[in-house]
Amino acid sequence: MTEIPPPLTGPAPQLAFLDLGERLRRRGQLDAALSVVQAGVAHYPTLPEAHDLLARIAADLGDHSGAIAAWQATLECSPGHVGALKGLAYVAFRQGDIATAQDRLEAAAALAPHDAAILGALDRVRVARPATLVEPLPTLGANDARMVLADTQGMRIVGRIGDGQDATADRAAAEASGLVREATRTTRLLGLGDWQEIIVEGPAARAIILPVEETALLLVQRPLTTPVGRLRSLASRGVAAARTWLARGEG
Amino acid sequence: MTDRDLVARLELVVAIPGVRAALIAAVDDGLVVHEAVMGDLAAEDVAALVAAFIRRGTELAIGVTSGPPNLVQLMATNGIVVAAAGSEPLWLIAVASPDTELGRLRLLVGDLAGQLK
Repeated sequence: MTEIPPPLTGPAPQLAFLDLGERLRRRGQLDAALSVVQAGVAHYPTLPEAHDLLARIAADLGDHSGAIAAWQATLECSPGHVGALKGLAYVAFRQGDIATAQDRLEAAAALAPHDAAILGALDRVRVARPATLVEPLPTLGANDARMVLADTQGMRIVGRIGDGQDATADRAAAEASGLVREATRTTRLLGLGDWQEIIVEGPAARAIILPVEETALLLVQRPLTTPVGRLRSLASRGVAAARTWLARGEG
Repeated sequence: MTDRDLVARLELVVAIPGVRAALIAAVDDGLVVHEAVMGDLAAEDVAALVAAFIRRGTELAIGVTSGPPNLVQLMATNGIVVAAAGSEPLWLIAVASPDTELGRLRLLVGDLAGQLK
């Protein structure tokens, strides 16, 4: 009888460059680590962990633009990659862009609500950020995974939410549309008039739905650390942006 | 918690100016467990409709808030619905007029729902 070999432990042999690159990085041999991981990325251009490691090496080298590019590549391979969001927040913070740092950390916190490191960093960023009355509105495009514009038939028009995957956003658009239909029925039969706003709060985040036009709705998500009044304000401005977006026929 | 305790909690909710109804309902079947209704709202209608709304909201919440909902809120031109989860399958539901102190209502409904056993 042929003896069955024991299962391999650790990364597959062809991905050993990740382990080697990380060990070199931790030893401070950054140029050697960079060479190893760049070669690995060339062989595995769709591997998010390779881009993430490349970004961390670039950050250690003080190459902020290289780190940003690599973390953005990580997100392209794996939308909602928490490590990339944390890394982009770190670089933004180092560059003095506190608003972007906060935005990235809030996105990471929505995906990893019990990560003490993220929540601690979020607290520090909020303290560092000058008080402002108006939070910058996230874009309706692909890079902010917390806002979806959909039609009332549940078809996503633009935006992403949750883990940033298309399938998640499509499902959220469909569910939001279904919830609006239920809200319409509830308010009509109870004599409460036309629905204006829906808020759903879960264990880690809060979602708000607002009508954009008769045929569209906007779903915005933020972690529970975002006060509900701020979420409503943000969503109201998101509706204005969505109307402009639709009027221009973007996309 | 006794029936008297539950009713006492509902009375705290309807004591907020503008609240038209407060009830405890089982969202799995949409039936009223306890109620305190002011005016012409039918508690049975509220329970059935809001339970269906909560069930639909649960699907969305699981997708975008990392789990089932703890609180849902529906604002309309002539009224507001606030509902918070107690122990499964009970929810505390309040229906109020649009000028109600919403922040206070949300806090009270959330706190009292957490005491439902």
